Amino acid sequence: MFHPSHLLARLIGPLALLFAFAAATTATAAPTRLATLDWTLAETLIALDHPPVAAAQVDAYHAWVREPKMPSSVSDLGLRTQPNLELLASIDPDRILISPMFANLAPRLERIAPVDTLTLFSPGRDTWDEMCELTRSVAALIDRPQAATRLIEATEAELADLTSRLDDDATPLLIVQFMDARHVRVFGENGLYQAVLERLGLTNAWTGNTNAWGFSLVPLEALVGIDARLVVVKPYPAGVRASLADSGLWQELVRRQGAPLILEPVWSFGALPSARRFADLLVTAMENANAR
Amino acid sequence: MPAESLPRPPLPRFRLTPGHACLLLGLLAATLAVMHLQASLGLTGGLLALFSVPDASADSLVLHVAWWPRLAMALLAGGGLALAGVLMQQVLRNPLAAPTTLGVTSGANLALMAASLMAPGLLALGREWVALAGGGLAMGLVFLLAWRRGLSPIVVVLAGLVINLYLGALGMVLLLFHQEALKGLLIWGAGSLAQNGWQDAAFLAPRLALAGLLATWLVRPLALLELDEAGARSLGISLKHLRLAGLGLAVFITGCVVSVVGIIGFIGLAAPNIVRLAGARRLGPRLIWSTLLGALLLAVTDLLLQRFSGLLPTMIPTGAFTAALGAPLLLWLIPRLRFGGNAPPREARAVGSRHPAPRRLATKLAAALMALAVIALLAGQGVGGWQWASIGDGDLLQWRLPRLLAAAGSGVMLAIAGTLIQRLTANPMASPEILGISGGSAIALIGAIFLLPAPSNLTLVGAGVLGALVSLAVLVLVNRNSGFQPQRLLLTGVAITALFEAIKSLVLAGGDPRGQQIIAWLSGSTYYVDLTSALTVTGAALVLALAAAPLTRWLDILPLGAPSAAALGLPVVRARLALLALVALLTATATLVVGPLSFVGLLAPHMARLMGFSRARAHLAGAALTGALLMVLADWLGRQLLFPQEIPAGLVASLLGGAYFMWGLGRR
Repeated sequence: MFHPSHLLARLIGPLALLFAFAAATTATAAPTRLATLDWTLAETLIALDHPPVAAAQVDAYHAWVREPKMPSSVSDLGLRTQPNLELLASIDPDRILISPMFANLAPRLERIAPVDTLTLFSPGRDTWDEMCELTRSVAALIDRPQAATRLIEATEAELADLTSRLDDDATPLLIVQFMDARHVRVFGENGLYQAVLERLGLTNAWTGNTNAWGFSLVPLEALVGIDARLVVVKPYPAGVRASLADSGLWQELVRRQGAPLILEPVWSFGALPSARRFADLLVTAMENANAR
Repeated sequence: MPAESLPRPPLPRFRLTPGHACLLLGLLAATLAVMHLQASLGLTGGLLALFSVPDASADSLVLHVAWWPRLAMALLAGGGLALAGVLMQQVLRNPLAAPTTLGVTSGANLALMAASLMAPGLLALGREWVALAGGGLAMGLVFLLAWRRGLSPIVVVLAGLVINLYLGALGMVLLLFHQEALKGLLIWGAGSLAQNGWQDAAFLAPRLALAGLLATWLVRPLALLELDEAGARSLGISLKHLRLAGLGLAVFITGCVVSVVGIIGFIGLAAPNIVRLAGARRLGPRLIWSTLLGALLLAVTDLLLQRFSGLLPTMIPTGAFTAALGAPLLLWLIPRLRFGGNAPPREARAVGSRHPAPRRLATKLAAALMALAVIALLAGQGVGGWQWASIGDGDLLQWRLPRLLAAAGSGVMLAIAGTLIQRLTANPMASPEILGISGGSAIALIGAIFLLPAPSNLTLVGAGVLGALVSLAVLVLVNRNSGFQPQRLLLTGVAITALFEAIKSLVLAGGDPRGQQIIAWLSGSTYYVDLTSALTVTGAALVLALAAAPLTRWLDILPLGAPSAAALGLPVVRARLALLALVALLTATATLVVGPLSFVGLLAPHMARLMGFSRARAHLAGAALTGALLMVLADWLGRQLLFPQEIPAGLVASLLGGAYFMWGLGRR
């Protein structure tokens, strides 16, 4: 049966939909579409709730940075050092964020979109301050300064809470990551872990030299004679756990310094999200070890 | 040596004999060791720590489970590698042969990488077994390729070179895409002697002892290899089996050493050469002195390194350090010591037969190049999968055209440079990459990437040019007095290249995140080219190719040897210098565009030979076309295979050229 009100209803339906759609597109057209080559910038963007439209080596990000999760909408640009320029040009982002490591790519990237270079881990600067500053600069680029304030405050509150959970045990910590059965990276001055330890009021036992990224590659024997609690950041490279079982040096080290704390993988060159994750894993591991 | 008619280098002031060298190094090693023991537990306590942990102090623990095993390991590994080097050089009759020549290390490296990524369970069984299996497989492949030609030195060397390149390129691809997962293997790749118990020394010692016994047993038959082939055959020995035994033993030693300590460069190449240059001629003494010298050389280097390691922000692996120290030493030695005693390598012409109509073949190649260029420009993948672009699509072509031109131009230049240097030296292992020019510019590039805060592309290119110029200056200075004798020239290049390898593995082992940038730069990629530089490169390729054309008469005559060339009225020294300058120019220009490790300069001339281009003029033209074809194809495939990730053209070219080469060797 035909009825005029039906016709009206049929007309209004699609029209309403059209209006709703138009309103939605104007709302989503405002946010800047960002592409980034750097995982640290990517994790910061995701933590600010404004994920990039394209990032480099997305699979490896999932394996090594892990948290915060990268949404599946992010396009993979290929290698961080050689992102696919044809693909990036066709995605046509509004801005491209890089770290100074990729400065030599800037001229070609600028042919696609304006490029912003953001620095972290400058020697001689307080790493924590620099991380907060990086977060603010990224938030300013996406025009959401209040998001940065929220992220910084939330992270500092969480770290303060974690600090209050620690007991007064003042044993310094020695944070290492195994490279193979005979070599470790030991983390110290000018790195993410050091910054977190300082925030938590803990002492780092490694006072030796470190490179520009806050770590030093040393043979296992360099750890002998340092009075500290060992913290091992996973992953263990393949086969290393088996060879450590046979290693006279490691067994003796564990006998003298106690069983090490074992932490899940954390991106060691990250910014606030990685710092928060590391602090949480570390304090939880210390509590579990004390409870045993 | 064919160069007897040339002016001799000035005689050295004192004659360094192998005995003197070993004595000197031995004293140095002992002094350093005693100084270390004195500083930690005192001499007696330190000596006791060899057998047990004398007390509960940290020092004594480190001495017993780390310091003493490390010293033992340095002596064992150094001796083993030097022994393997002598065997290799004797059987292959090539002073450039080293324990790594037959692909053992690249096989072991690839096996470790593949196991880490795909079957980590295997590594739990023992890393050394995985490495040994990989090295063994690589060697098996080399023998398989060379078997039907009676393991003749030239074919073995070529097969080894190609297998090395092939496996090395595969390893680089894995490293480029899995930098984080493979960072531990980079330390292995730089050869660290750090120990944490006696288990590795206990693994190596009995195997090396066995190898030493076998080597003494082989001395007499192997010495006969210095005769020519017919002479050796008339004595009734099976050359094939003798070579198999000699090479097999060398590979076994190398495999064992490398599987426990990683890649230690230079000792296996330098110790036998130093001993021979210092006057040991017969095989028996050379074996003994080289083994001793190798052991002491590595021990001294390692002791020195440990002494100063506390001053540096990061550990320096011994293998890389050895090469870094050894390279200047070799450069210093080359003009001072008399060169000779070894039969010159046979000419590369042993491979490939002459094509009846090279001109027709060249036309076909040119047509294929044109067709490929069109495909590379228009076909590719985008967000929505495969697309065929129209010729007017400027947005897309602005990215593709420069890369196409750069690939073709650098392919032509490297191929011509390779042809020139292989004909100039009559050595099939020669290539522009091995001459040290690329190595020099790469050292400068690495320096710029690491020492400058945020280098622009222009700075990097400037650094590269500077590095190439310095290398050329070193080549000319070191070889001026010998009249640019090919053997010395190549050895100089090898020294510079070794220095580059050392710096590369040093930087990568340290684990700096910028390492990936280095790998990408080094692997031969057209990624960084813009239209201006692409046009410059293409123009330079054309001009330099035309400059090479009038030199073809020299190139036909020079491989006959200096005396014959001089007898035919050729100005030998001037011809060599001119060719060298041209090679340097070609290599430097190409390196700046596609990086130092493309290996097109090695492969393209050989491929052209295999196709049947044998006279110098045809060879040059054929190699140039092959080089361009190879690079353009490699560049396009590299961008499509793992889209959106890009494999550098140089790596793909090594894989393609290597595959063709293996097929060609097996077929004939």
